[in-house]
Amino acid sequence: MSALATDWLTPARERVRVFAQYDHAFEEKCDVVVVGSGPSGSVAAYELAAQGHDVILLEEGPPFTVRDFELDGNLSMTRTMREGGLRMTQGTTMPTMQAIALGGGSLVNSAICVRPPDSVFERWANRFELERTDRATLDPHFDAIADFLGIAPTPDEIQGKRNLLFREGCDALGVSSEPIERNVRGCRGSGECFTGCRSRAKQSMDVSYIPAALREGARVLTSVQVQEIRRSGRRVTGVSGQVVAPFSHGSKKGLSHRFRIEAKAVVLAAGCTATPVLLQHSDDLANASGQVGENLQFHPGVAIAGVFPEVIDPQFGATQGYQSLAFINEGFKLESLWAPPPLLALRFPGIGAELQARFAELPQIAIWDAIASANRSLGRVKKRFRSLDPILEWRLHPDDMAIMRRSLHVIAQLFFAAGAERILPGVGGIPDSFTSIDDAAILDSSAVKASNLVVGGNHVFCTTRMHGDPTRGVVDEDGRCHDLENLYIADTGIFPQCPSVNPMFTGMALARRQAHVLGGRL
Amino acid sequence: MFIGLIVVAIAAALGLAIHRRGYVGYPPAPAGLAVLHRGEAAFVDAVAEVLFPGGGALVLSGVEAQLPHYIDRHLAALPRGKRVLIRLLFNTVEHITLLVPGDEPGGRRRFSSLSAASRVSILDRLAHHPNGLFRLLFTALRSVFVFGYLGHPANLHGLGLSPFEIEPVVSDAELLFPRVGGLMSSIDFEEADRTVDRDTVNPPLDPHGERHRAYSRAGRTGR
Repeated sequence: MSALATDWLTPARERVRVFAQYDHAFEEKCDVVVVGSGPSGSVAAYELAAQGHDVILLEEGPPFTVRDFELDGNLSMTRTMREGGLRMTQGTTMPTMQAIALGGGSLVNSAICVRPPDSVFERWANRFELERTDRATLDPHFDAIADFLGIAPTPDEIQGKRNLLFREGCDALGVSSEPIERNVRGCRGSGECFTGCRSRAKQSMDVSYIPAALREGARVLTSVQVQEIRRSGRRVTGVSGQVVAPFSHGSKKGLSHRFRIEAKAVVLAAGCTATPVLLQHSDDLANASGQVGENLQFHPGVAIAGVFPEVIDPQFGATQGYQSLAFINEGFKLESLWAPPPLLALRFPGIGAELQARFAELPQIAIWDAIASANRSLGRVKKRFRSLDPILEWRLHPDDMAIMRRSLHVIAQLFFAAGAERILPGVGGIPDSFTSIDDAAILDSSAVKASNLVVGGNHVFCTTRMHGDPTRGVVDEDGRCHDLENLYIADTGIFPQCPSVNPMFTGMALARRQAHVLGGRL
Repeated sequence: MFIGLIVVAIAAALGLAIHRRGYVGYPPAPAGLAVLHRGEAAFVDAVAEVLFPGGGALVLSGVEAQLPHYIDRHLAALPRGKRVLIRLLFNTVEHITLLVPGDEPGGRRRFSSLSAASRVSILDRLAHHPNGLFRLLFTALRSVFVFGYLGHPANLHGLGLSPFEIEPVVSDAELLFPRVGGLMSSIDFEEADRTVDRDTVNPPLDPHGERHRAYSRAGRTGR
């Protein structure tokens, strides 16, 4: 091992702080404090540190090593997700999750990196008065991130049969499909992205951008909860908060020493639901437009289980290996999916021996899903009394419901085209299973009601949206708050509308551009 | 004075009845529970017995899967508000017999004290109830149990769905950070221990290859 290779580790460790080290209140100073270590925050922290700025990256959750990963999906969620993984929207009830860990959602997502189609950026530019947020401008940032994270199409060797069957179904129907591009290096196909990659093939932020930021001199403080953004006139002066014990879920018992960080600029990357709450708790900061917390959008997702005549070894293969963008203009994207089996089995009907028989079919089952561009389904994020957990109000619009019905029917077509003998739609109020596409036509009818649909919403957007007009948006195209000179937001909250594809890559590209602009202004 | 005595007597009788219905007559709780009280543990077993009966298609029955211990661990890990909600759910279904009685004499007794046939009947009626709130109760209840039952290592292994055996790796994260709760000085690894870097090329796993040892060794009691 060369001296060069080993020299980085000791100083890098000295720049990390974990919960067990905090024994008193503290204050720090830096050029830029980044709040939140998810994909956008980590990219921003690295890029700013690489420019030579003194950066502190703050994360409320702890770092996880491979020995900290919990294989039981349910128990894993209690450790890696806010509210124990049981967060729900009000209005249209829908589960939604937000990670709390070093690396944020990248630790427990399926590593999908998709560039939105040109039409998305055109829509954003036209409706939100944006001049520099298009594919041509962002492509250099996408390219740099792709190179850094090894983003590439999922190879056939690790697709596994359930992903390849998705391709077969698309081919049989003449629908375009492609292997999903993911931020992985050397994926082995363990199918356990959602509980943490034990092979460390997934390039989550804790094994990629955060170590790189540490190498560039950034400091990383974990287990710290930012509670307030400090302000003086039209400038912010830093942040303050308290140390928080791992897995304490924000309870008072878990909070201890106070801290304060002074900075020349603050980058909020706490996530689309946490950033607006933080602004609201900070005397309704950056809200002259009245748009903070408004315009909440999701990609609501639906899924169907298909039962094949033979065992397909679904445990093996990339968690999400294949997709189809053929229906983007109709408002939905199709994907193959795997997750911890109990999570998938929640949709199975029945009790007793009937339910157990369904479980026993799992080795023959594939799950395919659709995420909808639900631009008409809006909501808001509100602060909760004496808590940093948000209240999420959101309603599924009837027009978006129609998109989801249509997507269910298309998934059913794919399954039967791929050779499934039955499908389990997991929708209440209609039969539990279908054995032909003719029977499954009911999926695209008014018999499928929103209240009977199992919907999940894990892509969240727009609560601090970017808009060229300061009276109609929270940040400008560089992510800077219209109201303040040195407060930036770098998470999916700044998306003006849903991006129609998985948002991580777009968030990182916007954050990289932002970091370059901010770095030049310091 | 007389009216006051009557009010006190009624209140006392009511209190006694609630106490009797809510707390009296439950078997002792299994050892090692941190959150569930004995009534809740009995309720969990009563639901598990009928949701996942013995002789089904999986290795373990619901009772053999020791769901009170799993659910207790899950509840202990949840935020207080969510924990309260799940316990409220259990206690609501335990006493839902006041509204949806079992198919037997005394069918309004607690859910956990009814026969298996009555419990099946009640769950089935909740699952198909015209009122969406009742259906939601059933769905939420079943979800809590499915995680513990299907997720039991013996059941997953029996289905061939247990995680693969993967030797622990050492990446930047393992070099830079301690285990959760540990001091920085507790990091076990140095650069020479690294097994993963940007150039690592891993072979794909064998779909029929070795599975996680803790799962393949799991018996009827092991988790």
